[in-house]
Amino acid sequence: MVKFFAQSHVYDDPWATVTLAFFLRYPNPYASHVVSCDVISRTPTPYGTLLTQRLLLKRGSLPKWAPQGIMTRTESWILEESEVDVEGRIVRCKTSNIDHVKVMQVHESTVLKEDQNGKTVQTTEARFVSNFGWGLTKRLEKFAQTKFVSNIEKSREGISLILRLLRESRLQPLPIAADGYPGATLNPNAAIHIASASTPENTRPDSEEKNARLRSGPGMPSRWQQIRSWFTRPG
Amino acid sequence: MAESLSPSCTPLKHAYDACFNAWFEGYLEPVVASAPALRERRAREKADEYEARCGALWKNYRECVQKAVAEKGLSSMLEQARKDKPLVEPSYPDSEKKD
Repeated sequence: MVKFFAQSHVYDDPWATVTLAFFLRYPNPYASHVVSCDVISRTPTPYGTLLTQRLLLKRGSLPKWAPQGIMTRTESWILEESEVDVEGRIVRCKTSNIDHVKVMQVHESTVLKEDQNGKTVQTTEARFVSNFGWGLTKRLEKFAQTKFVSNIEKSREGISLILRLLRESRLQPLPIAADGYPGATLNPNAAIHIASASTPENTRPDSEEKNARLRSGPGMPSRWQQIRSWFTRPG
Repeated sequence: MAESLSPSCTPLKHAYDACFNAWFEGYLEPVVASAPALRERRAREKADEYEARCGALWKNYRECVQKAVAEKGLSSMLEQARKDKPLVEPSYPDSEKKD
């Protein structure tokens, strides 16, 4: 007996932004159960796609009725494998826990696909498989499924928060992608060049004013600096 | 940016992540559907750019995290998971094995 779950969700942001947010989603306040996240393999392929393997440590919880000692600890190692196809405008991502597999294995599959109207569709599928036995298999699978459903909303809230931060940071006068190659040191001259190229002459003072206002708004400098620090070499 | 599984790797991870995120943002830029030859050229250019910008940072971080994975006794579990369920099936020789 295996339990299934499937759902889709539409983000209003374009695919490139949602994909970026998807990779930046840890840490966020809605994912406090994620203890660590490491890239263990990354390969740009000759076909132009990008393969990534990440190893995550997540804190979990067990149902009250679970027998003592079913797991020696409630943390779990998760392997996340993804392929970003920039030409096809699609991300395919699969995650599974790699320990406690006899008690419970959750296989999650996420697809982020560009929509025709410039939006992004996320499709999530999950399978819950327990081989625990002792008459608990079905109950454990049901428990995992219920937990997953109640957490999926939180996981989207996390991505939406990162999307908002990205949107806000892009309103700043220094774009993240400063000089054609994003990530080189943020060169103010290049930024000005981009600003004048992308903003019509007559609207520029307005947007500068808006940027200044945003910069001085409550919480803005620290949030902006934080997200900017994610895109440049520190030091 | 998230913590590494080993606190000693976190600074190396953050340095690498910052470089990757910047490259990644450019990589994701809208591309017009192009002929296969152009597509391959873009793939090569982006891969070279990634290597040139982030290759050294990646090497440092990867060494650290590989050591930490081994120290935590996760290597065989990870190896098994990759062998059992190649979730993303690479359809090309794994270039990482060469270095």
